[in-house]
Amino acid sequence: MGAKNKDLVKFADLLVKGTEGLFTERSELKFTKSTEKIFGTIVEYQGKMQADGMEKFNNEAAYVSAVNYYLSGADMAKKKAIGALIVYIPQDYMAKIMKHLKYPAVDDENENALLDSCGTLCNILAGRFKSEIASGGYIELEMSHFKTYRNNAVPGVDFCASEYDSYTINFYLEGAKRMVFDMSMGIVPARK
Amino acid sequence: MTNPTGGEKILVVDDSDLERELLIEVLKGAGVQNEFLQARTGEEAIEMLGTRYKEIGLILLDWQMPQMSGMEFMEAVMKVPPVASKMIVMITASGTDENKKKAKGVNPNLAGYVVKPYTPESLLDSIRSHVKLKS
Repeated sequence: MGAKNKDLVKFADLLVKGTEGLFTERSELKFTKSTEKIFGTIVEYQGKMQADGMEKFNNEAAYVSAVNYYLSGADMAKKKAIGALIVYIPQDYMAKIMKHLKYPAVDDENENALLDSCGTLCNILAGRFKSEIASGGYIELEMSHFKTYRNNAVPGVDFCASEYDSYTINFYLEGAKRMVFDMSMGIVPARK
Repeated sequence: MTNPTGGEKILVVDDSDLERELLIEVLKGAGVQNEFLQARTGEEAIEMLGTRYKEIGLILLDWQMPQMSGMEFMEAVMKVPPVASKMIVMITASGTDENKKKAKGVNPNLAGYVVKPYTPESLLDSIRSHVKLKS
């Protein structure tokens, strides 16, 4: 067993704070049910974290976008991830969520535009999470560019090799589960 | 440093079509009259600068891009004297002080640093003195 990150729940709280802050600042949407944070175990296959979007929304089609975090630029170059954030949005809500966040209209029949939207949203959420982590007293992490998929991140997502735990976070908007995150994070040193 | 208030073009560098579209829409809506050029990658932007650098007065640059990041683009541009003086505004999803310092370290003349998602006001404030506004 590797070094377990005892602060994982704190990271989950920082992620929820950053995300809810974005929606409060940027949209008129209200969360219609309390956000659920579910502690779990990483589902691993061939050294990667599995990311199945359809499983998150009762087999509905979904877009999936993921970023990795690194302790340093050198770790980023070596692809030695300290953490991962995976964002899942149901296909039929992708264009709507961007509209609520005041982005230009997205053609909801254009697959590339929807993939681009999911990546754009993931990038903003991941950036806010990165800022919240730094504000929470930890060192500044490096963040990868996003990768985006439809339904399932087939190649899997890198994660910290010593970590087994993750949080799944469910956000409810307009009366239904509209956005889900999987988040895992290894031990991030405190800032000196 | 060059200044595009005379109507030089604004180069928007972002891999997200949606982000580029939003940025241009916001700036046009705020009365910016400069013409826009677009690049999806740092490499494409460098190619564009190579041939059209005289037309371009301001670069709005995304930090997080695949292959060549915004920081790598800026490092490359700073080594080329005719384009090193171009005004660059970094646009990023993460607004920590450390990131700002890193960007300033690479380009001490960085004209601005805007955190996504931005409001039209905050974006315009950071570039107001570098663009041609409708009077």
